[in-house]
Amino acid sequence: MKKITFLTGVVVLAFATSCSSDNAEIDTEYPVIDISVANAFPIQCSTIERGKTFTFKATFNDNVALGSYSLDIHHNFDHHTHSTEVTSCEMDAVKKPLKPMLFINNYTIPNGVKSYEATAQITIPADVDPGDYHFMIRLADKEGWQTLKGLSIKIL
Amino acid sequence: MKNALSMYWKYCFLLLSLLIAAKAFSQNQPSDKKPEIKELNEVLVNGNSIEKRKKEESLNVETVNNSFIQRNLGGSLMQSLQKLPGVKTISIGSGGSKPLIRGLSFNQVIVVENGLKHEGQQWGADHGLEIDQYAVNRVEIIKGPSSFIYGSDAVGGAVNIKPLPLPSQNTFGGSVDLTGKSNNAQFGSSVNLFGRNENWFFDSRVTTMDYGDYRVPTDVVHVYSYAVPLYKNHLRNTAGRELDFHLSSGYSGEHFKSVFYFSNVHTKSGFFANAHGLEPRNVDLELHDKSSRDILMPYQQVNHLKVSNTTSFQLGNHAFETQIGFQNNFRREYSHYVNHGYMPPIYPKEMYAPQDLERQYDKDVWSFSAKDEFRIQNHQITVGSNLAFQQNEIGGWSFLIPAFTQFNAGLFAYDKIELNEKWFFNGAVRYDYGKIKMKSYYDWFQSPVSENNQTELEYLQRSQDLTKTFDSFTWSVGANYNPGKLSLKANLGSSFRMPIAKELASNGVNYHYFRFEKGNPNLDAERSYQLDLGMEWAAQNFSFQLTPFVNYFPNFIYLNPTSAHDIYYGAGNQVFEYEQSKVFRYGAELQTRYYFLKSLSAEIGAEYLYSEQKSGSKKGYTLPFSPPPSVLIGLNYEPQISFLKEPYFSVDYRFTAQQNNIVPPEKKTAESHVFNLAFGSKIKTGKQDISINIQIQNLFNTRYLNHTSFYRLIELPEAGRNIIVSMKIPFLISR
Repeated sequence: MKKITFLTGVVVLAFATSCSSDNAEIDTEYPVIDISVANAFPIQCSTIERGKTFTFKATFNDNVALGSYSLDIHHNFDHHTHSTEVTSCEMDAVKKPLKPMLFINNYTIPNGVKSYEATAQITIPADVDPGDYHFMIRLADKEGWQTLKGLSIKIL
Repeated sequence: MKNALSMYWKYCFLLLSLLIAAKAFSQNQPSDKKPEIKELNEVLVNGNSIEKRKKEESLNVETVNNSFIQRNLGGSLMQSLQKLPGVKTISIGSGGSKPLIRGLSFNQVIVVENGLKHEGQQWGADHGLEIDQYAVNRVEIIKGPSSFIYGSDAVGGAVNIKPLPLPSQNTFGGSVDLTGKSNNAQFGSSVNLFGRNENWFFDSRVTTMDYGDYRVPTDVVHVYSYAVPLYKNHLRNTAGRELDFHLSSGYSGEHFKSVFYFSNVHTKSGFFANAHGLEPRNVDLELHDKSSRDILMPYQQVNHLKVSNTTSFQLGNHAFETQIGFQNNFRREYSHYVNHGYMPPIYPKEMYAPQDLERQYDKDVWSFSAKDEFRIQNHQITVGSNLAFQQNEIGGWSFLIPAFTQFNAGLFAYDKIELNEKWFFNGAVRYDYGKIKMKSYYDWFQSPVSENNQTELEYLQRSQDLTKTFDSFTWSVGANYNPGKLSLKANLGSSFRMPIAKELASNGVNYHYFRFEKGNPNLDAERSYQLDLGMEWAAQNFSFQLTPFVNYFPNFIYLNPTSAHDIYYGAGNQVFEYEQSKVFRYGAELQTRYYFLKSLSAEIGAEYLYSEQKSGSKKGYTLPFSPPPSVLIGLNYEPQISFLKEPYFSVDYRFTAQQNNIVPPEKKTAESHVFNLAFGSKIKTGKQDISINIQIQNLFNTRYLNHTSFYRLIELPEAGRNIIVSMKIPFLISR
C-alpha cells in the first residue's frame, strides 16, 4: 500500500508540474480590415467604370504585426453572393459570363507594421463584361491569422 | 489573460482533485464484467483474456467488444468509441468520422482490420474511416507509438479491429441488427448469416444505412462572416447512404487455419452546401430545402474494397502466419464547377473529366506479410516482415495531390519475457524502408505569368516527377509488474512516419477550408519518442486506471498557415505550407469505477492533453485539433429483473473544458456540458436473447461546439438531441 501512495504522489506531482507550464504569450488575434474610413474605396455597392483606373484604399490593423494582403475581383453573374456586409446591393439579372473581369494580386506590407494604409492602383480593361462583381480583400497577419472581406461592386 | 489563467488552474485543480478523490478502481467496462459470449455460446473472447493481454502488454491498450459498441452506438465506428478516455474523433457530419488518439489523427494513427492495414485517403479531414461498425466484434486501441508492430504511420496509435471469432462447429445461424435515429431520421439494418460444419465455415453480412440531413439547435450559422440561414434546423445537404458487404470463409483445423476475407464498403454523403468551394456561398435554397433526404452537390462517394487471406499453421514449436491482401479505395468528390484562378469561366466541352467531378482518388494496395512466433524458455519471440505496394491515380478537374506509387518494406523482431507471474518484459526492434515516386502534373488551363514586364500565358506545373526514399530504425522496451490487485507498466519507444504525397507535393486548394495548401519536398521522416506509464488497481468493487505519457517529436510535420497568398490557382487565398517543428506533448487519461451496490456503480473517465511546438514559425503554439480536457461522469444501474437479462440504465454527463490553446486558423472553443441517457436489456426468447439498446444523446438539446469537429472552423454546432434505438435479433437455423 505504501508503494501505491508513493506512486500516486509521483503521478500527482507530475500532473502538478505539467499544469504549471510556462505558457508564453502567443498571438491569437485576427487582423482587422477597416473600410469605414472617409476615403476608403471600394465599399459595399461601389461602382467602377470600365477603361478607367481606380485606387483601392483601406486601413489594416493588427495587434502584433501585419503580414500581407491579396485582392481579387471576380464576377457574380450567377448570384453566388458571399458578401460579408450587412447591406445588400441591387443586382442585375443572372447572366452567362463571356469575358468577365478577373483580377488577382498579392501585396506586401512592410515588416513589423501594426497599422497600414493600403493603396493599390487597379485598371479595369475597356472590353470586359459589365455587371455584378465581387471584390475580395484577404488580409493575413504575420502569424497566419486571416480576415477576409467580400464586397459587392458593379462594373459599368 | 488573468481570467484565462484562473480557468487554467481551475482545470488543473479539477484533474488533481479527481486523482486524489479516486481511491480505487478497475477499468472494466460493464460489458467486460461477465465473460462476453459471442454468437452461439462459443466463448472465444472473454474478459479474462482481455485482462491477461493488459497485464502482459507494456503499451496502453484498451479493448472493447460489440456490446460496448451497441450500447454507445454513434453514427460511425469511431463515434461509438468516443466514451474511452484519450479517444476522440474528427467527425464529418453524422455518418463519418476519423480516429483522434491523444490528439493525433490522419496518417499518424493507423487502422488495422483483420490484420490488414486500412489504406484510404486518411490525410483528408473530411474523409471518414471506411469501416462498417456492425461488422466489428472486438477493437483494440493502442494509445501510443506502435510503429514497431505496424511500421510507418503508427506514430500516434493504432485501432486494431480483430477478426471475427469463428462460428461453433456444426451450426448455421445469423442475426439481424436494426437501428433507428431520430436526429437525422436514420434507418440502418445489418443482416448476418454464418455456418460451419466440422472444419469449413463462412460468415457473411450485409449492412445498409440511409439518413437525412442532421439537425442542430440553431437556425443560422456563420460561415466566416457570412450568415447562412438553416431551414428547420437541418444542416443543408448532410444526408447520406451506406451499403456494405462482407464475407469471410475458410478452413479451421487443429494445426492449420486459412481464412479469406472479402468486404466492400460503399458510402455516399453530402457536404454542408454553403461551406464548400473557394469561398462561402449562397446555394439554391428552394432546391436544397425541398427534401432533407436527397444528396445534392457537393457530395462525396467512396468505395472501399478489401480482399485478403490469412493462413496460420503450427510447425513444432513455431506458429507461422502469412497474409496476402489487396485493397482499392475509390473516392470521388462532386461539386459544381467554380472557376478560380485563371480557369475559363465556362467549363470547356472537351475536358478529360466530367464537369461536376471535382476530385477523384483511386488507390490500389497490394500487401504481403509473414511472421513466426516461437518460445525459447521464457522468451516468446516473434519475427516477421511486411511488404506493401500502392498505386495512386488522380482525376477530376481540380488538383491537390499528384498521382504516385509507393513501396514499403519492414522487418521486425519482438520478445516478450515472462520472468515470473508478476514480471513481464517487452522489447522490439524494427527496420523500415520506403520509397515514394510522385508524378508530374500541369494545369489544364493557361495562367498569365509576368516576367521582365512581359506577360505570357503558360500551363503552370503543379507537381514534378520526384522520387524520395526513407528508412528508419525503431525500437521499444517496456516492463509490467503485476503484484495482485495492482498492476504497473512502463514503456519507452520510438516511432516513425514517412511523409505522404500530400505533405511532399500538394499544390492546390482545400475547398472545405478555403485555403491553398503547399507541400514541401524536403521533409524528413517524422520521428517520435514516447514514455508511457500505466497504473491500475482492480478490486471487487473498485477499479482505477491512470495512464500518463510524455512524447517528443524532433520533427513533427505540420501544415503551417503563412501570411502569403496564392495568386494563381489559389485565387488570392491564404497559403498553408508544410514545415517541420519540434513538438512536446504530455497528457494522461484516468478511468475509475466504484460499485456502491452490486447493481449500482459510478464511473469517471477523464483526459488531459497538452501540446506545444518548440521550434519553427509556430513556436509556442499548440497543434491543430487539440482536444480540450474533459471529464465523463456516469451512473449505471443494473438490476436483477426476472424476465430480463442484463438490464441496464445509465446516465452520463460529459464536461468538456474550453480550449484556448489554438493555432491559426482555429478559434477558441467554449466549454460544454452534455448529458446522455442509455438503457436496454436482453430479452430471453428460447435459446437466443434479443437485445434492445436505447440512447438519448444530447438529452437537453444543448447547443455547443466541438473543438475537434471538421465543421468547427465554420462555427457549426454539434447535433441536437438524438434518440437512438437499436435491436439485435439472433437466430439459429440448425445445430
